[in-house]
This record gives sequence, structure tokens and C-alpha cells, in this order.
Amino acid sequence: MSDEVEPGNHHAWSPNVVAFVCNWCTYTGADLAGTSRLKMDPNVRVIKLPCSSRVNPLFIIKAFERGADGVIVSGCHTGDCHYSTGNYHARRRFAILHDLLQFMGVEEDRVTFAWVSASEGNKWQQVVNETTARVQQLGPFAPSEKQNGGVQ
Amino acid sequence: MTHKFFSHQGLSSLVADLLTAQTRVIAPVCAKDDPAQVDYQLIQNVEEASFGVRLPRRSLKEFFLPPSEVLLHYKQTKTGVEIREVPTVAPPQVIFGATPCDVAGLAAVDKVMNWDYRDELWFGRREATTIVSFLCNVMDSTCFCTAVGSGPEATTGSDVLLVPVDGGYLAHLVTSKGEALLQSYGLPVNEAMMATAQAAQSAARDKVTPNLPAIPAEFAGWLARNFDHPVWKTLALRCHGCGACASVCPTCHCFDIVDEHESVDEGVRRRNWDSCQTALFTTHASGHNPRGSQSERFRQRIQHKFSIYPSRFGEILCTGCGRCSRACPGGMDLPTVVAELVALSQAKPEVSGQ
Amino acid sequence: MSELQETARKLLSEGTVSVVIGYEEGPRGVRPAFITAPAQADKLIFDTRCVQNLATYLNPRRKQVAQLGRAAVVVKGCDARAVAGMIREKQIERGNVVILAMRCGGVLQNPETNSELTTQTVSVRCGGCTVREPKLFDHLLGELPPEPPVNTHRVEQIAALMKMSSSERWTFWTEQLSRCIRCHACREACPMCFCVKCTAEKSQPQWIDSSSTPQANRAWQTMRVLHQAGRCVDCLECERACPEHIPLGLLARYVADSVERRFEYTASDDPTVPAPIGVYRTDDDEEFIR
Repeated sequence: MSDEVEPGNHHAWSPNVVAFVCNWCTYTGADLAGTSRLKMDPNVRVIKLPCSSRVNPLFIIKAFERGADGVIVSGCHTGDCHYSTGNYHARRRFAILHDLLQFMGVEEDRVTFAWVSASEGNKWQQVVNETTARVQQLGPFAPSEKQNGGVQ
Repeated sequence: MTHKFFSHQGLSSLVADLLTAQTRVIAPVCAKDDPAQVDYQLIQNVEEASFGVRLPRRSLKEFFLPPSEVLLHYKQTKTGVEIREVPTVAPPQVIFGATPCDVAGLAAVDKVMNWDYRDELWFGRREATTIVSFLCNVMDSTCFCTAVGSGPEATTGSDVLLVPVDGGYLAHLVTSKGEALLQSYGLPVNEAMMATAQAAQSAARDKVTPNLPAIPAEFAGWLARNFDHPVWKTLALRCHGCGACASVCPTCHCFDIVDEHESVDEGVRRRNWDSCQTALFTTHASGHNPRGSQSERFRQRIQHKFSIYPSRFGEILCTGCGRCSRACPGGMDLPTVVAELVALSQAKPEVSGQ
Repeated sequence: MSELQETARKLLSEGTVSVVIGYEEGPRGVRPAFITAPAQADKLIFDTRCVQNLATYLNPRRKQVAQLGRAAVVVKGCDARAVAGMIREKQIERGNVVILAMRCGGVLQNPETNSELTTQTVSVRCGGCTVREPKLFDHLLGELPPEPPVNTHRVEQIAALMKMSSSERWTFWTEQLSRCIRCHACREACPMCFCVKCTAEKSQPQWIDSSSTPQANRAWQTMRVLHQAGRCVDCLECERACPEHIPLGLLARYVADSVERRFEYTASDDPTVPAPIGVYRTDDDEEFIR
């Protein structure tokens, strides 16, 4: 269930969420969510990449370093990759990163990995709203280390 | 130089008084990750200190030249760039329980820090610090302070040197700063104490001198003339070029300067520890590296410490603490290397430029 | 002369190799040896103090070693896995190195103590070793000692960490990594860190700041251990090299455990077996993916 948030929301603090999405599936799915006028939290900044396998774990680390409180990484369902095998490689990489981030003390709910296809506008809405709600619950990422309150 | 006597209790009182007066006190403390090891750290009460247990793992350098420090903040404005420099005045602090090799290192680095320009950050901290060192009694077979012109009883760089005597310590008040620190403390000394202290100092020296003979004065010149000696090609085969030696060394002081954005229009300029042992140290923007292999980089280390710095500043850039050898994962051992090179320098007519 | 010394002497005198990289007594304990003369082969030793991973010296970037010529290298099973890794990733050719593999019963956690192997003194990485008789070799040497005792210290540390809350773990690592001075000794001592230009050295743009700050230190250590996923042989040279005594072995072990759990893979001493990152299975777990 999505947590409906009005524009100019009523929370005192609202998370910055950065989403690394693949051009072919998730970006199109997100676009569909938009054209379908689905209500989504405005907290997510989308970064479009050719493929989920372009996502270097360093992007996720850097996003947190630069002010993100949560991160979404999303691409095509396995078998549907525009480049055939990109997301298979990505899946392995993400699996290790997912485990390591928890070991380093990053809460699991801060990073959402998803496969969202071009037709899954509703799923994108869910991913956005649920991630934002979970990160809202967790609070700011490493508040004592935030420089200038993070990227504005 | 004047002298005073301190009982153990008297010394503890002094430290306690300093802490009460909110003066920063740095002392050797048992390491949290390994209680057998000791690190210099800020202490909050005198019980935390562990004097005379063993040589702290890292030198005092980091209290004067931190591994990374901000030099200035910059902000782009509509009209230009605003620069805000960091303050160079440091809060007063006292280092208790420094080893003579560590304080000698500070004195050696003072020279280059006041050479082509005066490093205000370094001297801001130096001027704010009073150093009380102890006669070293934690030497091991890797130490060679006496070989480089220092010693476990050396007072160079120190404001007060404490030497154990019956019931406490004999304090040598080396500088006026040291006298000022101990103005209202301590008791008069007598001949017996002076003799005991002298004996302790000699005994300490005798423990280190067998490790490595004094480096001859001609060694610096020999190094300069034998830059191309074939020995350099094989001396450092096991060296990883990791720079661990430089990081633990009391006298290594090279740094890198970087600008880091904190947001779109502002950031900081920092200086960070660097080491000539890393490949990147002399890599040019073109990709060319005049010190392209570890043999050249290790040669640089020896040349700088035992030849170049002496020719420029009159002293060896090494205090014989042995940390580089203890820290080295590749099994490099500086006293052995120096002994080998000194032997070469004395063995036969010079082989130069081959 | 021991089997190792005799083999080395023969390789050198016959000109099969120009240098034998092994272990010798140094002024402060065991250290790497570079034997170029057959007569010096009797300097070579092998015992429980031989912790160094000598595979690192095969890196062609190490010009001062490479210029000595064709090398033979003394390896334990764990080290042989690093050699296999370097062959697998085309850093060296199998035919260009002579591998002197030693049967091994474990090494000391702290080689300076020169004591017997017990559950307290043995290296944390030795317990349960499956490569005591290395399978990658040109010469397999030495007697097979008994199985090493099991030092559970690291396993216990990791278990304790995983029992903590996220924020406690965060605090732990922030404190441990606060000591990181970005000397990169961990990288230089690691046989599998052979990139000519490390990701941390790329400055246009600078993804990983070179300064010792909490964020940059975290980024550096996280990326290094991630780049080692499936490649790290758990030789613990990184931890041994670190002048700040950061428990890097915890990170290495945790990632290796993750790789083992997810992909049923441990670093292999067979260069033809592909490393897990770089290949995939269509049925890899995606439980963690929405």
C-alpha cells in the first residue's frame, strides 16, 4: 500500500531517494506510471542508464555519500534484458553488494533492488512509494556526516 | 639546564592538574584492539596512561601533521571565489611519555617545515605543545637510534626529559617551555639522583648501540655519488611499495594536496599523507614515471633520509625508531639495509655511474 | 638439502628459471627470498612462519622482479589460488612461471611468535583448508603435516557483528575505518589487486576521494572488497600490511562467505574454472530483488 503524500508534504523531513534505472524497461515503466497519472512520492530522482548492468556499486555508495537517504536500482526482468545478459551479470553483483551493505551497517530497507518492466507502471509506483515510506521510517542516512544537508 | 625531582605521585598530580585545567594531554595508552600494544592518545584521566610499556605503534607526527586536514574552504560566488582559511592557532596541549626517538623526529621535520616557507599549521601545533619525554627503556633489536645520532636519552625536541631514579624521576628541564610547565612542581635534586640518572642513561644507550654502529659522516656523500650503483636493483625486491613505512615513520612528512567539492559551488582543499614509495608519487600527467620501479623508489627513500636531507639541513631524516621495519609486510629491515650500504661504502673503491 | 632446496638448486643451475621466489630467514623472522644463484638455494625454508603470499611478486608491474627473468615461486595452497587467479585473469601465462607447491599444515596468525600451531596461534584462515596439497603445481613438495587446528576467532567476530543492529555495525565500521589513512598498503600487498590504474586513482572525476574521511574510507574499503568478490584467496596480506591494524580480514571473509553461499564457489586453484563475477546462471537467486 502506498503512503499518499501531498506535494509540499507535511513531514518535517523527507528522504532523498536516488533511482538508477535501465532505459529500456524500468525507465519506460516509470514513464508509464507518469502518463497514467499514478500518485507517487516526489522524493525520487531518476538516473537513466542503458542497462542495470551499468550500475557500478560505486554509484550506490556515492549516492549515499552525496546526500541520498535511500537508493532504488531497477532494470528488466531476467530474460528480457535489451542487451540479452546484462541483468544476469548485474544480479550477481547486486547480490554481493546487498549482503556487504548490510554487513557495513546500512539498513536493508535503504536499498531496493527491483525488476520493473516497461508495462509495469503500477509496480514502479509501488516501488517508489514503499521505498520512500521505509526510508522515511529509518530517518536520514548518517546524519552526522551530512555536508551542507546533502545535495539540494 | 636545570633539574628537578618528581615522585610517582607528584607526576600523577601534575597530569591530573593539567586535565583539570582543560589542557589536552596526550599519553601512551594500551590499544583497544590489542592490549599488548600501545598508542599515543588523548587521555581524560591519568590512570589511562601506560608509561614505559613499549614503543607506541605510531609516531607523534599525526598530532602535528594529521593524515588528512583541511587547509581552506572555498565557495564560488557571483563575483568570484571566497576563501576561508583554517585557524593556525592550536589549543595548548602536553604530550606525556613521548619516546626520545619520536620527539627527535619532530625536531627534524621542523627544519623542512621552516625552509622555503613557514608551515603555519605545523608550527601552530608545535608552539602550543609542551613535550615531556621519558628515558627509553623499551628498545628492541630493531631499534637503532644511537646509529643516527640520537639515543634513548636524547633531549632533542623535548621540553622535559624524565629519567627514572629511586622513588620517582629526575626531570631534565631542557627548554624554557619545560621550565614553565614544571614551575610550581617538583623538588630539588641531589648528587645521588644525578648519578643514578646518568647511570640509567648510559645503560639505556648500551642496550641500543650493539644493534647498528654509528653511521659514518661520509655515508651521505657516498650515497650521493653512488646513485647508479647496481645494488639498488636488488635491494628492494621484496618491497611492495605500500608506504606503510612512511605512515608510521616519525620523520616522513610528504603530503598530497587535493580539492574536494562538497556541493556544486563549494568545497575544501585538503592535504593528505603521501609517500614516495607509491607508484603514483612521481607519475607525470603524461603517464611517464621517472621512478618507474620499486628499486628506484626505495633508492629515493634511502637517498632522501641519509643523503639529501643531511646535505640540506645537517641531519639524518631518521631517528632509528625501527617502526618501518616492524610495519613492513615485505620483510624489509632498515638497519640491515643501512648496514649493507655502509659496508659497501667502506669496502672498496667506489663503483659509480655503472 | 631439503626437497625444496634441491628442486630450486636444479631449476637455477639448469637455467629453467632465473629466480626462485621463496622464503628465507631474515633479520626479523621469515621474509621473502629472491634466489638467483644455485649455491644460495639452501637459504630456502618452509615452516609455519611462512605467512606471506609470494604470488604478489609475479605481478608483471613489479618491474624490478620481472627483470630478473623467468621465476619459480614457492606457494602454499592459498597462494596457489592467487597464482591461478592471475593466470585466469591473464596477468601471467601458465607457461611463464614454475610453481613450487608446498604441502601445508597451516601457518601462524602471528609469525613473530614462532610457536606451535594451536587453536589460538594458528591463522584464522587455516581451519578446514581444502588445499593443503595444492593442485596447481609444477613440483609438489614437502611432507603433508596434520590438519591445522581451527582458530574460530574470526568466525566468532563475524557472528557477533551479525547479531548487532544495523546502527551498531555502522558504528563499529565507522570506528574501525576512522583509522584508515588511505595508504593503500592493503592494495599493494594483495596479489589480486593488480590494476595498472586503481579505481581509487581515477580523478576525472574523482569517484573515491583520496582523503582520510569517514565517507571516502568507507567507499574505498567497500569497493576494494567488492572488487575482490570471488577473487580473494583469503591470504590476509591486506590485514597484515595495514599499518593501522584495521580488521580487513573480516570484510574479506564476509564477502567470501556470501560468494560461497550464493554461488557455491570458493577461489579455485584451477585457472580454467571461471570466477563467479563475470559469469552467471539463469537461476541465480533473486530473493532480494523485488
